[in-house]
Amino acid sequence: MLKDLLEGKPLRHPIHPMLVHFPIGFLVLSFLLDLVSLAFPEVPNLVRGSCYAMLLGIITALLAAVPGFVDYSDIRRDHPGKTTATRHMTLNLMVVAIYGINLWIRSSVLSDPKISLLPLLLSIIGIGLLSVSGYLGGRLVYDQGIAVGRHKRRTATPQDTLHLSTGYLASGGEITFVPVPDAEQLGNGETLRVEIDKLVMTIARIDNQLYGFQEFCTHRFGPLSEGSFHGFNVQCPWHNSCFDVRTGKVTKGPAKVDLKTFKVEMRDGKVGVLVRKGHDQKT
Amino acid sequence: MAMWPGALIFDLLSQCQIGGNALVRLSFYAIIFGLAAALLAAPTGLVDWSGIKKGKPAWKIGLYHMSLNLIVTLLFAVNLGLRWQTFGDASEVARIPLLLSAVGTLILISSAYLGGRMVYEYGISVARMSKKKWRKLAAAGGANLPPE
Repeated sequence: MLKDLLEGKPLRHPIHPMLVHFPIGFLVLSFLLDLVSLAFPEVPNLVRGSCYAMLLGIITALLAAVPGFVDYSDIRRDHPGKTTATRHMTLNLMVVAIYGINLWIRSSVLSDPKISLLPLLLSIIGIGLLSVSGYLGGRLVYDQGIAVGRHKRRTATPQDTLHLSTGYLASGGEITFVPVPDAEQLGNGETLRVEIDKLVMTIARIDNQLYGFQEFCTHRFGPLSEGSFHGFNVQCPWHNSCFDVRTGKVTKGPAKVDLKTFKVEMRDGKVGVLVRKGHDQKT
Repeated sequence: MAMWPGALIFDLLSQCQIGGNALVRLSFYAIIFGLAAALLAAPTGLVDWSGIKKGKPAWKIGLYHMSLNLIVTLLFAVNLGLRWQTFGDASEVARIPLLLSAVGTLILISSAYLGGRMVYEYGISVARMSKKKWRKLAAAGGANLPPE
């Protein structure tokens, strides 16, 4: 519940990207005032103003960090965005540490007419790292789709991909039954992300039935294991394309191409999915 | 985006007799930097918006987002003008500029929220540049793909 709040689900908008405008704005303002103080030392209170802006920048950075950590922890472990997110977080922690030192140095020189070299240098490094980190944060949203459409999902998303194999028994082209033991525990509206010999699929439970379909949306390839369910439709979190999970047919665009589906069934008391062995050798 | 709410915070602090003229000036500079940043961001926003198809719900939201942003920019430009004579030695911000900052910030936050909804609800600009990379991953994952 607290996690949902910090992820901004009631607002239908993630919180961290809203709050980051404040530390970025205040820290950039602080740096700009430093520069103005170098150019016009006769203007009063510039160094003091820069220090106040920096203080507010650090406070708001710490506030923004809280939902940031929650967003980070909710990214699937093997998601391509996870390493970007780790870098983003590490840089931000460094930036806050550098500005902490910077603020401490400045607190004793508030009345100077222009900023001295060491704190200015720290601000330059800080702004440099912050720019890189801010860019990475943007990549997380716009390239990796992190937190896009997340609020539409009512259940938790998979934290990992299950790696399974058809094994040695089956020969190429043969349809093989691959047991997926975890599928039995799925609640309604929950999903598994499963990889069987490179074939990536979502297994979802809807109306007490299990359905298997390709993980990637056919529009811009968003993660359907993180999608939401409306009747027998899965909705892509990114651009809201809908597909019927029973047939894979597109029920709402922008996607135009149907999904691959996989039969999930019970054999000898085990739940499993039917896949054609050796599909990946062709590609 | 944060400069103008920042200016409001500085205004309010100055009203509480904290910081004196330093904060009045700080607020003034924040409004200037905010205007500069707004002018830089506007053309990119216009290009993004023009890429959305007219029938889509995001198009309408984009229109509201843009109109509100124009109003906010105008409000802060007027706000800056009102401060021009007094920012040099006033120890607190006058009523009308303070009010303008408050109204501007409220509209700005609504507009920013709409901008966020375009991304997080409708996926505007999401996976636009990274489409090739995701296509590769989907192909490796044995997915049905649209023709290129």
